[in-house]
Amino acid sequence: MRWILELIIRYRVVVAVLAASCASLWMIASPPLRQAKTARLLTISVFYPLQITFDQMTKAKNIYAENRHLKGEVALLTAQVAQLKDEKIENERLRGLFGFEQRMPLDIIPVSIVARDPSPVLKSVVVNAGKDKGVLTFMPVVGEGGIAGKVVQVMPSLSQVQLIRDPLNRTSILVRRSRAVSILETENGIDFFGLFRTHEDVRDGDTIVTSGLGGIYPRGFPVGVVDRIIDERDPLFKKATIKPSLDIDHLEELFIVRLPPQWNAFRAQLDSLQRQR
Amino acid sequence: MRTNILKWAGIFLLCVVLQTTVVPLIGLSGITPDLLMVALFFFALKTGQMTAVWVGFFLGLGQDLFSTSILGQNALSKTIAGYFAGFFNERVMRVDIVFQIVLLLVTFFLNDAIYFIVQVVIAGGGTGKVVHDLAVATVPRALYSLLFALLPYIRERFMPTSSRR
Repeated sequence: MRWILELIIRYRVVVAVLAASCASLWMIASPPLRQAKTARLLTISVFYPLQITFDQMTKAKNIYAENRHLKGEVALLTAQVAQLKDEKIENERLRGLFGFEQRMPLDIIPVSIVARDPSPVLKSVVVNAGKDKGVLTFMPVVGEGGIAGKVVQVMPSLSQVQLIRDPLNRTSILVRRSRAVSILETENGIDFFGLFRTHEDVRDGDTIVTSGLGGIYPRGFPVGVVDRIIDERDPLFKKATIKPSLDIDHLEELFIVRLPPQWNAFRAQLDSLQRQR
Repeated sequence: MRTNILKWAGIFLLCVVLQTTVVPLIGLSGITPDLLMVALFFFALKTGQMTAVWVGFFLGLGQDLFSTSILGQNALSKTIAGYFAGFFNERVMRVDIVFQIVLLLVTFFLNDAIYFIVQVVIAGGGTGKVVHDLAVATVPRALYSLLFALLPYIRERFMPTSSRR
């Protein structure tokens, strides 16, 4: 037995040739049916796994390309989703505004903001309506949540609106519950407050509306809510910080109330009195 | 060793891909080069008979499975061709380029002769048919394949290793 093994090792090349040749000849000599069977067996057992491996490699390459393509699509779809979300928010806001416009009993001019005050604290904006739409100086300007400011300058097709954030802009306000009257003030354009007499009934959460005094805003326009009462041990006044109901930082659409300011009538009367003198 | 195996596997794979895709497009009057045969020849010269026999056998078997030839026909012819070419292993003897060309042509003849003999034995015919086929098919095919076989030599001759860097 050992000598056979030694012989095979010694003449391994010849043995290999003979083995391969015999296998080939056996396949050649086989009847066609057996050849087909052998071919099928070889294909399945030897070449098919190789083919699968190559297929997998090709697939892996395709997956890589597909992955890159899908990543691109994901980026595109993400952008589209973001755009749709933005449109949805805008749609909801416009629906709200439309509802506000419907609810508003007064004649209003819907306007869009075309320019903003470049200062860090937004004090004024420019809107796209002017004399062409009948805008007059001191007309009140409101937003969906409440008052925004007043028109201070009218141009042919644009108007400048001084916002309530401007420390120079003061608005007469009223506590809806207790009817206490004060002035809406701000020193830095961010924190609003009103000074009330110490005996006035003002509490946290009270709704603040315009008082109708001052000749600009009609009575009852929402302004904000009392955020906090600060007792500064002042014997005469107490300070109520007010949180405005309008988000002034994110203004986009506004409404100019077509209300002839009482200031005009007052001025006209003053002028006529002066002329009479 | 592993690098060599991978290198040759890559070469054979490339030959299979080229043989089935590009080669049919560059055929002249139906004559196409046999890149697998060329690769087997160089493989046999580099590695010797033992490996050349088995690689030849499996290459031929693969061709048989994916062609219309009789099962075992290419396996037998390529086994013998590998055995013959492997006899001139570079580790045993120095083979110059002219001798390599002659050897390649002889290997082609040997391979095709066995192939045609099997064809005649199975399908019928005579010695004349084998000779005729060798003259009509093998000679142009071997010469055409020789052009591709010379590519590595041309690369070595005109693009030495230092200039290829």
